[in-house]
Amino acid sequence: MDDGKAVVDLVKQLVNRLLAAQPAPNSTESTTTAQSHHQQALRYAVRILSSRMTPSIAADEAAMAESITRRLATQGNSSDALTFADLYSKFALKTGPGSLSNKWALLYLLKAISEDRKTHKKLAQSDSRVSSGIFKMSVPGGLPALFDSESNGSSNGISDISRRKLDKGRHDDNLRNLPVKETPEKGWSGGVLMVSRDPENARDMAYREFANLLKEENEVSEGVIVRDVLYACQGIDGKYVRFDKVIDGYALPDTLKVPRATRVMVRKLCELGWLFRKVNGYISESMERFPAEEVGTVGQAFCAALQDELSEYYKLLAVLEAQSMNPIPLVSDSASSGNYLSLRRLSVWFAEPMVKMRLMAVLVDSCKVLRGGAMAGAIHMHAQHGDPLVHEFMKRLLRRVSSPLFEMVRSWVLEGELEDIFGEFFVLGQPVKAESLWREGYHLHTAMLPSFISQSLAHRILRTGKSINFLRVCCEDRSWADAATESAAAAGTTTRRGSLGYGETDALESLVTEAAKRIDKHLMDVMYTQYKFKEHCLAIKRYLLLGQGDFVQYLMDIVGPELSEPANTISSFKLAGLLESAIRSSNAQYDDFDILDRLRVKMMPHNTGDRGWDVFSLEYDARVPLNTVFTESVMAKYLRIFNFLWKLRRVEHALIGAWKMMKPNCITSHFFSKLPRAVKLQLTLTSRRCQVLWDEMNHFLTNLQYYIMFEVLEVSWSNFSNEMEVAKDLDDLLAAHEKYLHSIVEKSLLGERSQALYKTLFVLFDLILRFRSHADRLYEGISELRARSADPSLPARDKTKSGRHLSTKSSEPGSWLGEGRKAVTQRAGEFLRNMGQDIDSISKEYSSLFGGFMSQLPVQQHVDLKFLMFRLDFTEFYSHVS
Amino acid sequence: MDSEAERTARESLELAFQMSNILDTGLDRHTLSILISLCDLGLNPEALAAVVKELGRETPTTPSISTTPSAP
Repeated sequence: MDDGKAVVDLVKQLVNRLLAAQPAPNSTESTTTAQSHHQQALRYAVRILSSRMTPSIAADEAAMAESITRRLATQGNSSDALTFADLYSKFALKTGPGSLSNKWALLYLLKAISEDRKTHKKLAQSDSRVSSGIFKMSVPGGLPALFDSESNGSSNGISDISRRKLDKGRHDDNLRNLPVKETPEKGWSGGVLMVSRDPENARDMAYREFANLLKEENEVSEGVIVRDVLYACQGIDGKYVRFDKVIDGYALPDTLKVPRATRVMVRKLCELGWLFRKVNGYISESMERFPAEEVGTVGQAFCAALQDELSEYYKLLAVLEAQSMNPIPLVSDSASSGNYLSLRRLSVWFAEPMVKMRLMAVLVDSCKVLRGGAMAGAIHMHAQHGDPLVHEFMKRLLRRVSSPLFEMVRSWVLEGELEDIFGEFFVLGQPVKAESLWREGYHLHTAMLPSFISQSLAHRILRTGKSINFLRVCCEDRSWADAATESAAAAGTTTRRGSLGYGETDALESLVTEAAKRIDKHLMDVMYTQYKFKEHCLAIKRYLLLGQGDFVQYLMDIVGPELSEPANTISSFKLAGLLESAIRSSNAQYDDFDILDRLRVKMMPHNTGDRGWDVFSLEYDARVPLNTVFTESVMAKYLRIFNFLWKLRRVEHALIGAWKMMKPNCITSHFFSKLPRAVKLQLTLTSRRCQVLWDEMNHFLTNLQYYIMFEVLEVSWSNFSNEMEVAKDLDDLLAAHEKYLHSIVEKSLLGERSQALYKTLFVLFDLILRFRSHADRLYEGISELRARSADPSLPARDKTKSGRHLSTKSSEPGSWLGEGRKAVTQRAGEFLRNMGQDIDSISKEYSSLFGGFMSQLPVQQHVDLKFLMFRLDFTEFYSHVS
Repeated sequence: MDSEAERTARESLELAFQMSNILDTGLDRHTLSILISLCDLGLNPEALAAVVKELGRETPTTPSISTTPSAP
């Protein structure tokens, strides 16, 4: 062995060098001791070198250099590290003849020595046990430090391990010392050093197996329980862990002998199994009844999301199950090294799935009876959680669950489609007639409104879809689709499906806002331009609210005689003809034909004894889609207002008629002078009284009419048109119109609160009409009297003739003809007295009624009635009277 | 050995010595060269390190050699 020879020589040299390097305080000692010492050291060195000691790491030169560099760097001397790296790179380049062939070995050697020196320094030299190693033959005690220092552990730990090994190895050492001593020359073939751990130690193995066997005989091994728990967590009964119906949970049977702690632990872990059963049960139940009963799309989405979570859970379980078979890769070879999964490890592994599973179980519980939006809302309530894990989990779940809802919202807002087979959406539709589509066709289903959509947003969503449907059904408009696409583009989302999700409430809101803005604007445009909403409103004001004065005047004149007939004899066709001619002869003829075409005569249902005046009314045919605004109830209100105004007009008309009759002129004044004094006085008195009363009535009526026309109608109209300008959607418009109508009704005493006043007003009207007939009679009588007294005076010669002629008719009652001047005077006096009494009584009744009216007026709540009061009692005449 | 190989060997030794100094191994040039040749002969570096350690460690403690028997 040439090589061997060289090695031995070199080793000898090395030992010499190493021993020579030491300062020799003991050189004074005898050379023999030094010699023996030397010999001993050499033998020791050879023994070490011939050991089977192997490097614990694979031979990789670059990695070794890297490790050394890093080590230097972490120790704080980065400049050293850099220098070393530099040196190494040069060193590595040295190849070819003369260079080192085993660079890695050298590096390793250097590293090992350097590390050893460091740990050695740390041991503070005082540890004599280690340093005196060679003489005590406690080799194993010294050596392991070399390997363990690799782990850079604390020096205490190292020495602990060394001591343990020392204790353990001592026995073996004694056995092995012998061959080493006997065969030092044989070199590395003899000395066997047991330094590495001994899993292959047959005795140990046998012992461990025996222990396992023993354990399994006595009690259930932990491994089996772990496996059972894993089964239980998938809802399957294991060998020992079974589902117990009594305690409603998985547990170890009482017959099994296990420690109490294990039992408790198993129960705790198996909570997961119980929860899993619950969740899984819910899913399968829902899936089962899905096609038949209505679980709903949201419910389905919920189940799918749960299923996904469960499959994650299955994955974990599968990994755990695979792991449970592997032993723990421990460094230490303690006999307790069991399977990788212990119950305790399992409880750590289960911590997170347990939280999730609990959440799912809670959700399942709370969602069992819920559907649709309500379900999403309930889940959302649980998502309000501070724990980021829970929050994240719920968010994931909710994204899935609410996706059908968001889909519904999207198609509703952009297409007006109500894709809701299971009644889960928070907008409910019902089949209605076109005119009530807007008001009754769709409404919010609050129970299905998930809490993450605010009430106002829901309303906006509802209105947008409603607008689309309104446009489609009532307005027969197709161009809204452009507006919808445009709004989707503006909101940054596409019109395709599934572009919205939970947590993107902002996106949803912006989509809804954009859509609402455009659709509403479009709807308003259609209403204003295509359907001329404003023009129709104006027409209604002009014709139904009698705003067009000349038209009303004509109509009153024409239909007046007709309407004085009893109601049942009046033909509505004739009235329609009269209406037509009233339109023709007034400025109304220049109005749009479409508007005039809608104006109709309506005869209200009448009782016996009703006059035409009581049943006549005008009607405006609104038609789709305007009848959304002008609904039946609205039109009924208009009708009431019309009736009131019509009556007012009629009374005014009557008063004007009376004035025409009693207008004093020179003829009458001339005629007065010829009358006998007594009669003249009486006539003047009666006529004066009549005129005063007329004037009083006229004052009242003029002011009332002024108030109605200007303070009520025009002001309300002006407000309404302002609001119409700013109205953004149909709801605004409806509200504005409602307000307009309401203010008219309230102010013109037609409201609930002013009913008493309204009745008084009508009695007053009736009284005025009665007065008119009396006044008519009076002035007819006067003119007849005038004719009577003028006739005989003018043609004096025909007096007897005509007198005779007239006397033929004198048999008729109430006629003064054919009687003498005296008789005429007498009759006139009587007539005037009667009339005077009538007018007196009317005047009395009127003033008492009017007094009542005036006293009731201030009690009214409405501010505007104060103006009426002020106008009527401008001079405080009435307040003085009362 | 030609001069080329000799030079390489010397340079290698020089580099190894510098590295050894940086790592604070306390080895002199001669010892290092012996160790390098041993390594090149294929000896286990771990074992070599153990020898250096054991024999080198002995040096400072030699004065206390008389006390060692009393140690465990």
